[in-house]
Amino acid sequence: MKLPRTEDVWALWIGLLIFALSLGNLARLDLLGWAVDARVWVEWSKALGPTSATYGLPSVAGLALMFGFLLAILSAGARVLGYPAGRFALGFTLVFWISYACWLLGHNAYIAATPRERADLGISWSLGLTGEAGYIVALIAGLTLGNFFPRSVAAMQEAVRPEWYIKAAIVVLGGSLGVKAAADTRLTEAILFRGLAAIIEAYLIYWAVIYFIARKFFGFSREWAAPLASGISICGVSAAIATGAAIRARPIVPIMVSSLVVIFSVVELLVLPFAARAFLVDEPMVASAWMGLAVKTDGAAVASGQITESLIRTAAEQQGMNIPAGPMLMTTTTVKVFIDLFIGVWAFILAIIWVYRVDPKPGERVSPLEIWQRLPKFVLGYFLTFAVMLYCALNWRDVGADLQAASRQGDIFRKLFFVMTFFTIGLVSNFKKLWQEGIGRLALVYAVGLFGFVIWVGLLISWLFFQGAHEVFTR
Amino acid sequence: MESHDNQLAEELAKLPHEPLLPVEKKLIAGSLILGLALLGILVWLSYTFFPLGN
Repeated sequence: MKLPRTEDVWALWIGLLIFALSLGNLARLDLLGWAVDARVWVEWSKALGPTSATYGLPSVAGLALMFGFLLAILSAGARVLGYPAGRFALGFTLVFWISYACWLLGHNAYIAATPRERADLGISWSLGLTGEAGYIVALIAGLTLGNFFPRSVAAMQEAVRPEWYIKAAIVVLGGSLGVKAAADTRLTEAILFRGLAAIIEAYLIYWAVIYFIARKFFGFSREWAAPLASGISICGVSAAIATGAAIRARPIVPIMVSSLVVIFSVVELLVLPFAARAFLVDEPMVASAWMGLAVKTDGAAVASGQITESLIRTAAEQQGMNIPAGPMLMTTTTVKVFIDLFIGVWAFILAIIWVYRVDPKPGERVSPLEIWQRLPKFVLGYFLTFAVMLYCALNWRDVGADLQAASRQGDIFRKLFFVMTFFTIGLVSNFKKLWQEGIGRLALVYAVGLFGFVIWVGLLISWLFFQGAHEVFTR
Repeated sequence: MESHDNQLAEELAKLPHEPLLPVEKKLIAGSLILGLALLGILVWLSYTFFPLGN
């Protein structure tokens, strides 16, 4: 079956390419050893470090190579997708370097160093946010430019594609989580099953209630209420678009809903991880599942999961509890990709109900192929890289160190895609839209549905399926 | 684009009332009933076959 030429498919290819290159480590081929990683720093000169001793390059040269490599593969994708090559290259150049500057700034020791690291770095205080603070810096930079200097965004416009970056990142992330999953297969099985169970509940309860509220109390027509319910309750932009197509809504309807989804996702991204740190340090897995169930859009959800993991691990460390890196982010990501996996199925169900019962038109039919057409293909990449690494780690014990090296190298690019996602989410979040005439009613139902219902029911579902799960780390 | 936005704003301000059809009510009720019924089953399956420290 021919794959469509979409950002989604190109995210899959790009993620798989980086994953395949990282696997060179298994054959003693250090294909990504030139990449550099950010370090927690006090002096700028120590902000970057090599990931491998193979090439012996200066760090700045490694960073320039990373830029050139990503520019080349993303430009190739952009060309196939029909984006203007020159404007994409210019835009990406700005997106990359601004994002990376934010990433490095977030690694400043006074922002990032955990209490345990302070002595080694020779500092007496720090915010203890870990290097992931770079994501927040990037988001704030994007929000500032997007809302106060909109003309500066015009130059980057062609490369402001947060969904593309996060989807590529999630494909790479699958491999990294696969290696970590091998450390405790029972935990992995439980996360997969409970994540699946949680999203089944979310689909069935969220959508029905939000649709009812939009129709009954806010007086929205079916054409507006269905994409709105999917946008608020399921998975933001992708779900709103899939639902709009399934019920044969005009294209402008899911587009309007999507613009709200992005704005509210940013609010969630800025608030929920910190709320989780304040109230859920004792239930880290609940916090992680909550991010996957409550925060809309792939970018904001997985990004929230990453920040929540960092914040809670640091807070738990101060309380003498050790939470390994991996299971928390795996929980958020698993919940999110399962939600994505079922968008096509849900859209298919809605299409059947609309075409045959709600608004029947002569000769109109629904094909099961719509499930495949609306399935975000990058989720296949996530499961593939996860399964490959899990299989290798479980069956080829003698290559454990090589798998770890492959995972580390892939992770460098994954983090880079993450930080570009944060920055570009900020750029596209135009809060002035909320004041646009007429959209207030949409925004109100969104706010009521999200903050009055979805967040709390998501927390309840997360608690039901993941409460006490962290004990697996401490027993 | 601005006039398009204005048209949409106008449309959103004057949406005609569409009463809930029986099929919509069935969809909402069926989804909630199934969700609540599965909740118990899935929680039981999770804690029985996929225990996690608890």
